[in-house]
Amino acid sequence: MNEIGGAPLFFLEFGDIVIYFTPFTLTLFLLALVFSVFVLVSRPERQIDIAFGGDAYYAKEISLSELRFRRFMSIACGLACMGAMVTGDVFDFTLFVSLVGICNVGIVAAVRSRHVQNAAYQYGLVALAGTVPMFAAAAMVAATTGTLSMLELAKGTATVPVAARALLVLGVMGEGMAPFYAAKAEMFRAPGAPYVIMCSLSSLLIFLRVAEVILLI
Amino acid sequence: MIAELLFATFFGLLLLGIHRKVIARIQRRPGPPVWQEILHMLKFSFKTTWVPATASAALFVGVVLVAIGIWTAALLVILSGGSLLVIFAIYMLHKIVEHGFGLSSGSPYGKFGGVRSVISAASEIPLFVTVAAIAIFTKSLMISDIVAYQEVHGPLLATIPLAAVAMYVVLLSKMPFGPFSIVESKELVSGYKTEHFGVWRAGLEVCNGLKTYVLLMTFILVFIGSLPFWMILVAMILVTVSLSFVCALSPMLSPYDSVTIQTLIAGLMVAYVALLGVMS
Repeated sequence: MNEIGGAPLFFLEFGDIVIYFTPFTLTLFLLALVFSVFVLVSRPERQIDIAFGGDAYYAKEISLSELRFRRFMSIACGLACMGAMVTGDVFDFTLFVSLVGICNVGIVAAVRSRHVQNAAYQYGLVALAGTVPMFAAAAMVAATTGTLSMLELAKGTATVPVAARALLVLGVMGEGMAPFYAAKAEMFRAPGAPYVIMCSLSSLLIFLRVAEVILLI
Repeated sequence: MIAELLFATFFGLLLLGIHRKVIARIQRRPGPPVWQEILHMLKFSFKTTWVPATASAALFVGVVLVAIGIWTAALLVILSGGSLLVIFAIYMLHKIVEHGFGLSSGSPYGKFGGVRSVISAASEIPLFVTVAAIAIFTKSLMISDIVAYQEVHGPLLATIPLAAVAMYVVLLSKMPFGPFSIVESKELVSGYKTEHFGVWRAGLEVCNGLKTYVLLMTFILVFIGSLPFWMILVAMILVTVSLSFVCALSPMLSPYDSVTIQTLIAGLMVAYVALLGVMS
């Protein structure tokens, strides 16, 4: 079961911290990279809204300062996401995932709308709560097995407690809440592309990676 | 590889044409010819193309290339007997592609289609359940290993039929005109793809053809096993026809009902796999 994401293609060692690429992690990494480039080079959409009570419509404009901040947070989110996709260390994974959560809150919170900021506040609370079980999971893995290396844990010499796996999944669910917020205000009241897409993309990517991590360790 | 890619695209589009034809005949309409989706793709390839003034231009264009790219990668994984987890990842990432299509244009119709795509994320859970059930039995997620396992132990369709049902529901949720096709229902014009026309729509049609081919091929290989190539194609047509019957005889659900039913199915499947895990 060690090759659940396909045969490893490349290892990059930084001392005892190892970054590795399999067909699975490489696919996820490339997707995060491609969408980060889109964020970098693309101007935001000009969202069309209908004025109720008539047949008029208008296009929303994004101010330069808002654009810059949301773009910065989206690129930071993309970088954190890329890190989470290829890291071979449980603690680094939790760090990158919590950074993804913070960036997602930042992307949403930059919009100057009461409804959108309410959504960002609620999302922020969930993301904040999600860090607790996630870091607890990393601590439990270190305490029970003596290592945080996924490659070492994949050898099966030490058993990772089921509770640690469950807490890791719970934490990622908290950080990657964006798809569950898809019907909330930020999607409809704020221009979405390409920034809000980074929220959804990063959430899906960390869900996919945690599935691999759980099966691996 | 190019030949396989072209064949997969055209055969996938032919399957979608058969799907439309069967639905029409069940509903006592003549329906379009079975090659209609291929004609659509060719027609859109030569129509006038531009980018809407309100669009996020790079994303509007780039997402079409990403759509074709991910399903080409999925085809490569199938042909090389690679990891089922990669197919699972690509299937989930297709949600982001639909979301990207919808949000990039600035159109409210596209936006609602894209958002509906994201809120129906529960439709992915049965696929994960399928992957988990297969892992319990075969101890591997490589498609080549799964096919080899079935040559010794018989088709997984007989061993874990409910996992096959879960995968079938996944296929159903991706078929057009089905009960879960809320992302492109008529009140949203064409949903997430409303504003993509001309060459961009042709690219989307290529993606749809590849996606249909890859998902049906995955279903056959994972649950029936290795067959002669012509028999795999016949099996894909039969699965498509069965899906068409379900689509023709069931109404399109409202977004709320669609998500609720998908979540219920996902919950049942998670319980099933937990039971399998305890029993093994």
